[in-house]
Amino acid sequence: MENMANKVARIPDLVDWSTGEVRLMSAKCNSCGTYFFPREHYQHRPGCSREGVENVLLPVKGKLASYTIQYYPCPPPFKTEKKITPYGIGLVEFEQEKIQVAGIITDTDLDSLEIGMEMETTTLTMFTNDEKQQVVTWAFAAVK
Amino acid sequence: MRDVYIVGTGIHPWMGFSEQVFADFAAVAVDGALKDANVEWHKIQSIMAGIFIYGGNAGHLSGQYLESIFGETGIPVVNVYNACATGSAAIRMAYNSVAAGETDTALAFGADVSPKGFLTAKSDNAVQDRDVIRWKMGGMPNPIYWALECRKRMAKYDTTEEDLALVKVLMSEYGAKNPHARFKKTYSVEEVLNSVYVCDPLRLYEICPVSTGAAAVIVTADRELIDKADHPVKINATTMGSAMYGDPTIRISALSCPSVPEAPMLSESYSASRQAYEKSGIGPEDIDVLELPDNSSWHYLVYLETCGFCKEGEADRMLRDGLTRIGGKLPVNPSGGFSSHGEALSAQALWQVIECANQLRGRCGDRQVEGAKVAMAQTYGLMGNSGTTIMSI
Repeated sequence: MENMANKVARIPDLVDWSTGEVRLMSAKCNSCGTYFFPREHYQHRPGCSREGVENVLLPVKGKLASYTIQYYPCPPPFKTEKKITPYGIGLVEFEQEKIQVAGIITDTDLDSLEIGMEMETTTLTMFTNDEKQQVVTWAFAAVK
Repeated sequence: MRDVYIVGTGIHPWMGFSEQVFADFAAVAVDGALKDANVEWHKIQSIMAGIFIYGGNAGHLSGQYLESIFGETGIPVVNVYNACATGSAAIRMAYNSVAAGETDTALAFGADVSPKGFLTAKSDNAVQDRDVIRWKMGGMPNPIYWALECRKRMAKYDTTEEDLALVKVLMSEYGAKNPHARFKKTYSVEEVLNSVYVCDPLRLYEICPVSTGAAAVIVTADRELIDKADHPVKINATTMGSAMYGDPTIRISALSCPSVPEAPMLSESYSASRQAYEKSGIGPEDIDVLELPDNSSWHYLVYLETCGFCKEGEADRMLRDGLTRIGGKLPVNPSGGFSSHGEALSAQALWQVIECANQLRGRCGDRQVEGAKVAMAQTYGLMGNSGTTIMSI
């Protein structure tokens, strides 16, 4: 794995690489069993006691449930140093957790995208900040 | 509850960006509604205003600004926001106020000036406002969400790119005949299929842009006003729905969705429409004309299913067989839809109601659905907002 020490997420508490693997920061409600992403975006089952919500990391790998290719530049506040259009957006399913998460597709031939293909969570560098840190978001790449 | 009638409607035609202020557009629509109903301003006993989210203090208190133009009379003025279903909330509150006997005559209006370019995040607080995350981290403008759902649909059913293009062809044919529409050019399937992808599989002509527009509706239970109105339109039901747990749709602003469905897709619209059917005793089979929210070609198809006009996966066939054309079994969007208008957030739900009322009042000229007696306006707003209004004459 490349050196993650000099990377910082543009918005904290969404993606974690402290374990050596890149994983999405989710939360699970132990009362209704629902997983949330982002963590604080609660979607409890009606009538749930909402007790026992714990922070969890999603698995690295999931399956592509849907995708699109964005052909024009996303307007601000989205920001990248380099032109990234056209770029893919994938909806990746984590089967056990019964959740699909959206994210930019990186490091993948867009012509090869197919529903059901295996994807892994990674990061995408968007720009370098004043402290010379690489500012990243989470992203998905086809498993090679 | 008392019977409530639409007696006056007004529209400022849809257009692109304008330097003019939203209240000026609102005034045109309200003036039109007053003239149509042939009522004096002092007869209005409450105002339910859709807010203009990009208008700052004035936009958030749009009802007060509107009232001051026509003359302040001390009546209840309530300002409401439910995303693109804002107008549904306004007319529902106006209806409820009159039906319950709180007031005899109420005004619902919405006016919006298109921002230059895209609708984007309105705060910088990522913890509080999930919209910030999808813009900063996700690079996901609204059509991305529709494209992700459209791709799922194409994989599940036999929806083709030609079907998506055919929606635009039909909408452009009707929009060309609508004086209120912004886009009047007609398109062939080939022309639509030759337009660029915005977000594959959706092309430029298959998604709607943002627009400027205003719409106003006067509702009443005042016998005198009903009797003197030109073809008063009865509101059989006007409802709102929110999302249901386990809805598998990836909602605009969200970064995730359930992978195992426990509720229908677009559950807010499923809920709003079923509430309306139950309250009115009118079902999909009774509807003579339908205005649905064709934010994209995908919406046109899925809404026929969500609202129960056919089973899941059958909308494409309805479209191909011509059942949704004027003259078909269920004429859909004889107005030309959002495809020919674009979105004017707080105004569009009311504009849909007005198109339905105009159809029932026989005012639609070349796009008239002959003999229409029952009409339904269905809206869709981000983050689980929807409204249904069923009307008859």
